[in-house]
Amino acid sequence: MSEEFTLQTEKVGDSLVIKTGGYINNVAGEKISQVFSDNSNTDVKNAVFDLENSKVINSIGISYLLEVIELLSGKNGKIIFLNLDPSIEKTFKIMGLFQFSQTADSLDSALKVLT
Amino acid sequence: MDSNFNLKITLPKIPDIELVAIEGLERMGRFLGITEDKIGEAKIVVNEAIINGFEHSGIENQYVNIEFIMTKEELTILVTDYGKGFNPEEVEEPDISKKIGGKNKRGWGIKLMKSLSDDLTIESGPAGTKISIIKKLT
Repeated sequence: MSEEFTLQTEKVGDSLVIKTGGYINNVAGEKISQVFSDNSNTDVKNAVFDLENSKVINSIGISYLLEVIELLSGKNGKIIFLNLDPSIEKTFKIMGLFQFSQTADSLDSALKVLT
Repeated sequence: MDSNFNLKITLPKIPDIELVAIEGLERMGRFLGITEDKIGEAKIVVNEAIINGFEHSGIENQYVNIEFIMTKEELTILVTDYGKGFNPEEVEEPDISKKIGGKNKRGWGIKLMKSLSDDLTIESGPAGTKISIIKKLT
């Protein structure tokens, strides 16, 4: 069963790299959203989400990702996802998330897109 | 052993209880040799169905019953709550372009369940809601 949700962040230039672990539900979604609220007065305008260690997500958790997309779109920023489980990638496609975000093969390639 | 497995669980409304059902689903799926992609999609469907059940379970009866009937070819998921019910025809089709910039970013559950399954039936009334889902596994 999924372990406790974990969140690691690293600021790289004007991008925030977020690595999650565990189930992305409402509580995890709030934590993710809070990170961006905390950075709302900084130069952060892009996000890279590495979901390699998050294999379960629900639509409430995703609704918080929509908040982040909304926030960063307002700054003309970009959102890139890494290491999506195939079922999560399919879920994002169904919802239309990739109209507002993209995927990359690695952190390096994501950061190249953002610089 | 019979290759038709049945798992029934009554889930109380406590945080992350849906993971118990997902764990059972994963174990049955792997035992039957179902692909990880199909199991992953089924997990999303089950998760959304349980969340939907708890949202409509009401205060009096905060339980959701879930039943899986799984073969190598097909998974049937039955989710029942005993809450106030809802009218599925009144559920608006979510549109991400409206959600981004809009106040309500939720309301994706039924769309995801429909999109990731092969058949979905919702029977809902004042005594509760039963969602029946069939997902092909081959």
